[in-house]
Amino acid sequence: MLTMQTTLLVGPADWQPARMPKEVFLERIESVWKANPHASGLIVYGDRAHHADLTYLTHFTPKLEAALALIPRDGEAQLLVGGGVNMLQAARPLTYIEELRPLRDVGKSVRAWAQQHDGTLILIGGALMPYPMRQELDETLGKADDQTAHLRVRMRRKDRHELAAIREACACLDAAVKAMRTARRRGDAGTAVVLAGEHAAQQRGAQDVRSLFSSDGGRSLRPFEAPIEHSRDPLLVYLAVRQLGYWAEAFVLLSSTAKSSHGGTDAVPSDVLAAVTDMLKPGERCADVAKALARLGMSVPSVAIGHYGNGIGLALEEQPAITPSSEDVLAPGDVLSMHVQLSGREAPIVSAMVALGASATEVLWSSSASFQ
Amino acid sequence: MTFDQRLAAIRAAMKQQRIDVLVAVHDGAHFIETPNPVFVLTGFKSIGPAAVLLARDDAAQLIVTPTWDADRAGEDRPQVRVHAADDVVSGLAAALEQTRARMGIAGVGFTRFELASRVLELVPHAVTADDIVFDAAATKTDEEIANAREATRIAELGYQRMLELARPGLSEDELAVELRWYTKTLGAEDNFVLLCAGARNPAVAPSNGRVMREGDILIAEITPSYRGQLAQICRTVTLGRAADELKDKYELLVQAMQAGIAAAIPGAAMGQVCQAMNAVLEAAGYGEYCHPPHIRRRGHGLGFGSIRPGDVSLDNATMLQADMLFMIHPNQHLPQTGYLLCGEPVLLRAQGAEPLTQCQSALAEIGG
Repeated sequence: MLTMQTTLLVGPADWQPARMPKEVFLERIESVWKANPHASGLIVYGDRAHHADLTYLTHFTPKLEAALALIPRDGEAQLLVGGGVNMLQAARPLTYIEELRPLRDVGKSVRAWAQQHDGTLILIGGALMPYPMRQELDETLGKADDQTAHLRVRMRRKDRHELAAIREACACLDAAVKAMRTARRRGDAGTAVVLAGEHAAQQRGAQDVRSLFSSDGGRSLRPFEAPIEHSRDPLLVYLAVRQLGYWAEAFVLLSSTAKSSHGGTDAVPSDVLAAVTDMLKPGERCADVAKALARLGMSVPSVAIGHYGNGIGLALEEQPAITPSSEDVLAPGDVLSMHVQLSGREAPIVSAMVALGASATEVLWSSSASFQ
Repeated sequence: MTFDQRLAAIRAAMKQQRIDVLVAVHDGAHFIETPNPVFVLTGFKSIGPAAVLLARDDAAQLIVTPTWDADRAGEDRPQVRVHAADDVVSGLAAALEQTRARMGIAGVGFTRFELASRVLELVPHAVTADDIVFDAAATKTDEEIANAREATRIAELGYQRMLELARPGLSEDELAVELRWYTKTLGAEDNFVLLCAGARNPAVAPSNGRVMREGDILIAEITPSYRGQLAQICRTVTLGRAADELKDKYELLVQAMQAGIAAAIPGAAMGQVCQAMNAVLEAAGYGEYCHPPHIRRRGHGLGFGSIRPGDVSLDNATMLQADMLFMIHPNQHLPQTGYLLCGEPVLLRAQGAEPLTQCQSALAEIGG
């Protein structure tokens, strides 16, 4: 889901070794080496807007300026942090990497590092670099082996540490949704409702909160631009909460009364949720799931950009995508954010965060359970 | 200046440089240091990547992603034709319709590689036209000035809230998050809240989980955005009583700031504003600290659209004009105190610089 990007990330992002041990990151890096026996080093880019790949391998969240990790097969990793040498002290708690240096003269820095590591260099996140930085890097390295897509396939499989973080994000999301529902029921409208949800999430330690709301019955969503005191009833809100690096998101329909204007309730019937989650099993083709949902009369919300759901984790949108044309197959370790709309334009949207295990599917959060 | 007058100036510059169509792109990653030509040309702050096609003799066309954001883009902008697209480059290609017009392009240098390279493939012969867009936006429109005033009002209220909240035992992250949420309730859709605390700060940096302690010096840049226009205040607060030496050094910065404000007059070069601030510090024996690596600038423009007139630095020869908006902040590392923040947003008027704040920088003490 696209949300309005902020100019500076604020919110807790310190590395907590007990929650995400260093060994987890080293294992991830080791898996890259195993898949690339001739590679001698990794160059990983991230910035405020796009840093899932960088965070996956280093834990670092670039709050202000971009960062570049240089990870050799042999030797210690280093993290080049934008903003000058005076930013390094503030950056240090955010990563397990001990060698931090300023990010400047990218071509020169990478060339000097590459000369110490003979072999193929792998680039991650190169497409996201600012145009001049990527040009400088290409001039230095020639055509690098861009393996961003391969890394993102690996990122699909969430381990127990990641699942724990996502469960916390879901708990935070639940608190935020409940706060918005309370605000709506007491008569708050428009942006006051959204802000109540954001505040509740932040008070639970959310690292980031993104919100959108609809003023046209779900046809479109809008970001906060200025306080709005009036809103439709029910009010459709999209909320995404990030905790310990991991996202949870939901669409929720919030009525000012227990019964909404369309005769339903805020809650989504639990049998609808069961029908959706029953389809989500390892081995199922994503395209088949999408087609099955369509046969049940469920549609893709107009604001969901063409898919019934997607992987979610360090990024709001990860693989796989649940669309009729997807070639992906669901697998154990997938965590999905599902959003399907019942018939009718202002009908509730079923939102659910679902974790696929080898033998069971776990609903981590749902718009059904949240209103019980 | 009105928005229409600025657009007319841009079209005049296009004519002068024989550019028939101007293409502007932005990847949706809004940043205080990065100008946004789409915002300058339309006043629209996009959620996703966006582009503008401006012909010399036709209404501007705005290509918006995601598609459902098109209605919002069209609000209050009847002069702009809005096209919804799933992919901004595909949308741009459709709007260009294989034109043979001579084209200029703006924003590519600030955009992510994947988007920039696809746009450049689409318009391979376009000439760089960033200056056409941003020269015309060196001064703010009436609307941008009004928004800057409101953003400043919000910043000052945010500062008051910070004084209420900051205390030993609270982490930097907790304070920054609460402050940004608070200014959002006042109408700021974003806020560049750069704050940190310590016994001696090497610089102002993004907050982290450090828990503030008695005796810390808390430094904060509070930078709300109101309808896409940023304004900033730079403040320094002690958690506890401030030492006399700190008070003396801070007063030095305030004097430097006042000297900078006095030097900021139409017709002066921006470098002279920087030099005026440096002179106060040099006279006090801190000449060495007036240059890199200790500081690189003493203020800057305020976006999100245009960040002209650029940095308040010795090498900036930009001639100041009325209706320019920028920061004057002699933020400074001093060996006795570490980094201190002191600064106001100023609007240049015919008679000189007008700080937009009601209460200017003064060292504050919490619990002192």
